[in-house]
Amino acid sequence: MTTFDEILPVIREVLGTLTEALEKLEPVILNRDLNGRIRLILDEKLQDQPETRGAVETIVHALEKRLGPHTFPAERMVLFEPSLEMVKQGALHFPLQGFDAVTVVDRLATETDWARIEPVSSGASRIVFFSIKGGVGRSTASAVAAWSLAQSGKRVMVLDLDLESPGISTSLLPDERRPAYGITDWLVEDLVGNGAVVFEDMVTKSDLSHDGDIYVVPAHGRNPGEYVAKLGRVWMPGMDGEGLREPWAGRLARLLTALENRWQPDVILMDARAGIDEVASACITDLGAKGILLFSIDGEQAWSGYRILFQHWRRTGVACEIRERLQMVGAMIPEVNAKEYVDGLCERSWITFAEELYDAIPPGEPADAYFSFDQADETAPHFPWPIRWHRGFAALQSIHSRFQGMGKDEVKAVFGPLLRGIDAIIGFDGESHE
Amino acid sequence: MTTDFLDAHKRHWEDAELLFTAARWANADHLYGLAAECGLKRLMCAFGMKIDSASGSPARKKDRVHVDCIWEHYEAYRSGYHDGVSYSLSSLEFFSDWNIAQRYAPQGDFTREIAASHRDGAGKVYNLVKKAIWEGLIS
Repeated sequence: MTTFDEILPVIREVLGTLTEALEKLEPVILNRDLNGRIRLILDEKLQDQPETRGAVETIVHALEKRLGPHTFPAERMVLFEPSLEMVKQGALHFPLQGFDAVTVVDRLATETDWARIEPVSSGASRIVFFSIKGGVGRSTASAVAAWSLAQSGKRVMVLDLDLESPGISTSLLPDERRPAYGITDWLVEDLVGNGAVVFEDMVTKSDLSHDGDIYVVPAHGRNPGEYVAKLGRVWMPGMDGEGLREPWAGRLARLLTALENRWQPDVILMDARAGIDEVASACITDLGAKGILLFSIDGEQAWSGYRILFQHWRRTGVACEIRERLQMVGAMIPEVNAKEYVDGLCERSWITFAEELYDAIPPGEPADAYFSFDQADETAPHFPWPIRWHRGFAALQSIHSRFQGMGKDEVKAVFGPLLRGIDAIIGFDGESHE
Repeated sequence: MTTDFLDAHKRHWEDAELLFTAARWANADHLYGLAAECGLKRLMCAFGMKIDSASGSPARKKDRVHVDCIWEHYEAYRSGYHDGVSYSLSSLEFFSDWNIAQRYAPQGDFTREIAASHRDGAGKVYNLVKKAIWEGLIS
């Protein structure tokens, strides 16, 4: 019996044998609903046309036979619509591989789909800290980056978008300095048009930097309150001023713009949730990030996770829009056999990028015309910026007190490549780091 | 007979359209009201409204209303669905001047304008039902 992953390959196979019938019906929409069931949607001009009825019958019966529970009975499989463009509106859609006139419209129960890539924001550089697996030092690294940039005189805004497991604000703020509200509070209040009430009191300046400023926007305020009840509502879509549906990620983007306008940071660091998650998707694809830092240790689970994501970008045709913003970060490099470890990490990272995101260079073509990199190319997105494991930075809870006595050299020794890389992304020459 | 809100919604809509095209304003108007009611009740089922299996009617007697009284009931079920925002309608599009008893009224009381305003409201329900079908929320 056909399972979900076989739906599109089976359809390609079936349509590949029925090209003559298919041509009579094009353009065709393959509507995959929330339950993973396929329907064909055709232009209503074809309805009740004797010359196309045979083609419809041939295709629906063939699909019914092969797709089983992943489609509808043949007599209910086809919908006719006056506007196929309207069917695509608001849904993820992409061409069926190998069939330019067949569009897959994919309806997901989640708001985000990892495939609508917002252009890079024109304001302050936005940098996302992401990892497929948690516990790799991502939040610590973002706190260190915020501290280091602020020490260099920058106005830095840090958002704790790991809403389901908040943490970074703890490392930048002692409890008594936390603001009354956080991102979760705003997202909930915004649903009833009450966001302004919490807006001014959801940001606090950290006391860690004396040369620049760190504005911390926590996931929740001093008192988390009914956090679980609020978290269960942050994903709600809202209505914009014109009564149109606004996805929750759109509401988050609106908040970020408002925060940027209010506090005028030079750079915005966003600590995203680990894994293929709603918030992570919003951070990576919906908020106009300029740099997307992919934290990873060298483990099969991590590469498998990144491969899933890269393949999705390729399948949905957006890989070219996002791949130049990606940068691998080698997390928790062990003290023992560090070089061998980094070499292995780099090799597996390169394999993953090369197979999924880099261009294949046709024989005889110049390599520099393509998005393709050698394994040893230190400027390549796959080439990991290494962060050595360090006992002193291992516990996020102790970071705040640790920052107070921390020297630049100590930070540079552990986080140097990351900090230099971030400087390059935001176009900062980094002189004041020295 | 069994109850099938979706099928009833479609046939009332299609027949109303035929009557509207033929300038039969009174019965077109009547069927637009029934089409909207059936479409909304099918959506309310998708949002969690229970159905009495014996009668096929909404299990809560209070939900057994015609389109002129359905607005608050629809809103209650819609707002309990996580993506209910995608199925919102303005109360202005509703049928406060429509009444099931108008089937006894003389046809001279009905005008094109009256039928057209209800056609507009029923059309919006028709589009929401289509969206729910595309999403697989109803089938």
